[in-house]
Amino acid sequence: MASIKRSLDSDPLQASISSKVYVRSTKSGKVQKIVREVYLRQDIPCSSKLCRTCQKMAPTDSAGRPIPFVLSEAPAGTSVYPNGHYLVPDTNAFLSAMDLFEQSSAFYDVVVLQIVLEELRNRSLPLYNRLIGLTKSEDKRFYVFFNEFRLETYINRLEGESVNDRNDRAVRQAVAWYSEHLARTSAGKVPTVVMLSNDRENLKKAKKQGLAACSLAEYVRQLKDGEHLLDMIPETEDGDMIKEKKPNEFLYPEYFSMSKMMTGVKGGVLHQGTFNVSPYNYLEGSIRVPAFPKSLLILGRENINRAVDGDLVVVEVLPKDQWKEPSTQVIEEEAVTKDENPDTEEAGGLVTERERKALQEEVKRTHSKTTEGHAQPTAKVVGVIKRNWRQYVGHIDQTSVSQSAQQGRKQDTVFVIPMDKKIPKIRLRTRQVAELIGKRILVTIDAWDRGSRHPTGHFVRSLGELETKAAETEALLLEYDVQYRPFPKTVLDCLPKEGHDWKVPASMDDPGWRDREDLRHLGICSIDPIGCQDIDDALHARPLPSGNYEVGVHIADVSHFVRPNNAMDMEASIRGTTVYLVDKRIDMLPMLLGTDLCSLKPYVERYAFSVLWELTPDADIVNMRFTKSVIKSREAFSYEQAQLKVDDASQQDDLIKSIRVLMALSKKLKQKRMDAGALSLSSPEVKVQMESETSDPIDVKTKQHLDTMSLVEEFMLLANVSVARKIYEAFPQTALLRRHGAPPKTNFDELANQLRVKKGLELSVESSRALADSLDTCVDPKEPFFNTLIRIMATRCMMAAEYFCSGTQAYPEFRHYGLASEIYTHFTSPIRRYADLVAHRQLAAAIEYEAVHPSVRSRGRLEAVCKNINVRHRNAQLAGRASIAFYVGQALRGKATQEDGFIMKIFSNGFVVLVPRFGIESLVRLRDLAEPEPTAEYDAETYTLTTSGSREIKVELFQKVKVLVTDQKDETTGKRGVKMEFVKAY
Amino acid sequence: MPLDTSAYSLALLRVDGRRWNELRRVHAQIRTQAAADGSSYLEMGHTKVMCVVNGPSEPGPRRGTAGGGGGGGGPGGVAEVAVSVVVAGFSSVDRKRRGRGDKRTLELQTTISNALAASLHTHLYPHSTISISLHVLSQDGSLLAALINAATLACVDAGIPMTDYVVACTAGSTSTYAANDETADPLLDLNHQEEQELPSLTVATLGETDRVAVLVCESRVQASRLEGMLAVGVSGCHQVREILDQVVRDKGRHMIKEGTVEKGMGVEEMEVD
Repeated sequence: MASIKRSLDSDPLQASISSKVYVRSTKSGKVQKIVREVYLRQDIPCSSKLCRTCQKMAPTDSAGRPIPFVLSEAPAGTSVYPNGHYLVPDTNAFLSAMDLFEQSSAFYDVVVLQIVLEELRNRSLPLYNRLIGLTKSEDKRFYVFFNEFRLETYINRLEGESVNDRNDRAVRQAVAWYSEHLARTSAGKVPTVVMLSNDRENLKKAKKQGLAACSLAEYVRQLKDGEHLLDMIPETEDGDMIKEKKPNEFLYPEYFSMSKMMTGVKGGVLHQGTFNVSPYNYLEGSIRVPAFPKSLLILGRENINRAVDGDLVVVEVLPKDQWKEPSTQVIEEEAVTKDENPDTEEAGGLVTERERKALQEEVKRTHSKTTEGHAQPTAKVVGVIKRNWRQYVGHIDQTSVSQSAQQGRKQDTVFVIPMDKKIPKIRLRTRQVAELIGKRILVTIDAWDRGSRHPTGHFVRSLGELETKAAETEALLLEYDVQYRPFPKTVLDCLPKEGHDWKVPASMDDPGWRDREDLRHLGICSIDPIGCQDIDDALHARPLPSGNYEVGVHIADVSHFVRPNNAMDMEASIRGTTVYLVDKRIDMLPMLLGTDLCSLKPYVERYAFSVLWELTPDADIVNMRFTKSVIKSREAFSYEQAQLKVDDASQQDDLIKSIRVLMALSKKLKQKRMDAGALSLSSPEVKVQMESETSDPIDVKTKQHLDTMSLVEEFMLLANVSVARKIYEAFPQTALLRRHGAPPKTNFDELANQLRVKKGLELSVESSRALADSLDTCVDPKEPFFNTLIRIMATRCMMAAEYFCSGTQAYPEFRHYGLASEIYTHFTSPIRRYADLVAHRQLAAAIEYEAVHPSVRSRGRLEAVCKNINVRHRNAQLAGRASIAFYVGQALRGKATQEDGFIMKIFSNGFVVLVPRFGIESLVRLRDLAEPEPTAEYDAETYTLTTSGSREIKVELFQKVKVLVTDQKDETTGKRGVKMEFVKAY
Repeated sequence: MPLDTSAYSLALLRVDGRRWNELRRVHAQIRTQAAADGSSYLEMGHTKVMCVVNGPSEPGPRRGTAGGGGGGGGPGGVAEVAVSVVVAGFSSVDRKRRGRGDKRTLELQTTISNALAASLHTHLYPHSTISISLHVLSQDGSLLAALINAATLACVDAGIPMTDYVVACTAGSTSTYAANDETADPLLDLNHQEEQELPSLTVATLGETDRVAVLVCESRVQASRLEGMLAVGVSGCHQVREILDQVVRDKGRHMIKEGTVEKGMGVEEMEVD
């Protein structure tokens, strides 16, 4: 009977075969025991050019090429090691001072042990990748010695020995072998093999063994220019920094139960609100709750407790001694957490050393001052009522990717950096890392466990290469949740059968003509931006025998084509608005309607909804009426054309005359509005010029303001206000109106204080009128743009205007703060805004043109519509701006121009510069100013930042500066962005 | 966790310390089960399989054969090679049960059956069945290759006439399809980790010839690299044949020494000391 059992001693290979056994735990908590073979060998070279024996047996690849030897035969020496030396750092040395090894002045001839490489890889993939980069660089002479495969340097873990101790011993063993091995070469000057470690225990043992060993600091001091390198060694030098991971330790506090939160909110102990993240500091959030006049600050990862921007959360206010000022420092997630490893399950504590350091500076600052009034209440998140997670567009953080994953189809964990800076990076497990690197990808967040520092998500789809127009545009649309798919067939079925051949029926008996006024004889024209295809509005004016004027605003009659509650109406109500991007328009309604049948094109008859006033020459309304009509526009002017004709005195035809009348009236209307306290606000607006053939952006122009623009604007405002009154009168409960709340005074505190301190100007905010007046006084005689700058900053303090249903608010709340109007709605752009379409239907019902459709009377339905279009409206604006920003970046590509800019925000480690020429603002960080980062003194009282050291500048708020604007591609992220470099202060 | 396969380029060492053209340790035994007609036990690294051959014998009652008459056996009056592979639940890291109808197992069985049927002289045994049972005790890559080698040894032990050893081995490449590195080294005899991360193929040859009996490649790899992989794989097969042959000869020598068999014809040239 034969037995399979055999004695291992009989195997001749036994001595050189070992196995590596280790235990790993999977995500699901399962523990796996992995056994791997290890073949020990004696042909792994030392790679020193001094060694003849190793060179003879150097291994070759399949093509017979040997790997070159890297370690120099005459390595540099130090004061202690005059014969030259090879360095053998341990894992800690790399973990704590990778920057040091990347220096070009020292750290040559380094032996990287396999065991060290393995440990480093487990601790931090980015650092591992950097080290691999170093080993590939020819002049740094880094050699990876596979000590775990070499028979002489392989050691077995002893009983009772911890893994770390065993690895430290392996390092010492390798050092010992190297020294002995090199001693055998017949070289005259044998280099010393020096172990570098920051672990005292390890150093002690090495010295006992008679090995050359020193700590990083000791070693650096031996170098010639060691002094300045010393700064790069981290301060935490107390023994081993390796913290063993404690299993089952949760990183974040648990959420309260729903009922506990509810009772807390009811009792006023807890507060509920929407969580917002500061765009400059990812560790700072704020939440506005009714109980506090100022918004509550939420500082730090632990207090934010897994809330993501936009979530509806419940917070608990912290005791008063923990109240703080909002941060004056820029903290970017990318910079702070760049060395984290997505693979390991969060070693160490919740708040990493770097993050703690970043926040520490903050605390120091707040403690050093006695600014009672500035402190803001702080809070911590205790629960999330509703997640507002959506799909996020981002890209894979290249440094978080392991080498093998870049190639293989092995499942790997990587970080995705969302485009939106307010969203934390997302951990993603994917098998197709290789394909996804360098692509714009769409991901969703799935969960954020208590045990995981970052939320986990999954890959949805790839949008294409980074920086390509198609991918970036789609990314933009997705990021702002714009519906951009083609209209479905059910929607297209709702269009008139005649298609582009549709005409206003010739016979007045046609049902289309019912109750329509024939205004075809009037001299109507439209004035729009160049190239406008969806013409919503047209105007006319004519003198009346009484000396008054008849003025008409004619709006495309979209409600005639889009019947309530059909598929097209539903689609439009979901889309909410047309989105204008630089090179693209995402329509709310199908093209056929938007650019043809509804559009009030010149020379053809079109259905319209007209508002007709009789105005005195002083622009007082004598009477007004609303009617559905048929018009025929005489001409479609662009703003520029109209302006030229109006200014040209030789132009005397009726159409131009009537435009002049309108112009005169509009100026009076505007004056009235201003007297009532309307604000003239500002935002930096630019236009991207495209090359007509390739539609590549070539230049950026600031938008000019023309009188004809305010002409159209004034009459549109007048029409909107008139319609708002009418529909509110007819439907006091369900009229769709638009309001703009008065901003809380505290919003202006910061700006008012800044103005007072820096310019000695007072900003009064009691009413819109007072604000408008004080904004007018905010001028700097030397700097005409200063006023605009203040207006831009004031605009940012405002609330957002919103649509609402009249039944949900009391009449005084209807007020439109910015326009200083008691009541307001949107009526004049039904082709591109759904709100206007609803207003059209309500007005049609109010003038008894048609029966009231239930959908425009149901308050619940209208509230839902309002909520949706408010969101869509804001997203459309943001998408438009982001599109401009992208194209401005593209237009600047490869160019570098010096531009004037203004400092509009200042931090203790950087400042934000607005360049009006391009309408862009960008952060200039101190560390971009000079290398190494200059030290800075920030005076929060006077908003002044003074730097010293490597570069000395002094900048203050509102200061005019010169900056170099370039585009730059971030190598690690593949994102192209505008970069500003500080040139000089004026 | 140890390094992965991308570290190869650093010092031309694989994850387990081998060079590109080295086999893992192969250990094999034959006649491990006295009760069977032929048996073997084979280890390639940590991949451990055992094989039992019964037959050629009259087939048992077969299910599903229409008509019944005509006995068993393969078509055309040759012996049928029936292979069954059982993968033990404890053979891999995760305890996983593979059912009888598992597609991968079925594919393994068919591949082995076809490869052996071509080498065994099945025409000598019409209407009979050679049943080969393979048991996977431990898996660490190159499973198909190990199964083929074990089956060959067991067939030798069973004394079934065959043209030559059917010997198998895997080959891979040091960089993946996506990396598209033309200078990538071919690799011999992949372990589990390498198989997961790198493109690989399994090749079986007929003894020391270059005649390929099995070629299975399930990963994407550039055709230009395939040639190198195949060449390395075939040379690996030749090495495996040497090892298996040595095992058979050692066993024979041992048996003669013990007197289990008589020194007969054709064994003369064997040195028996």
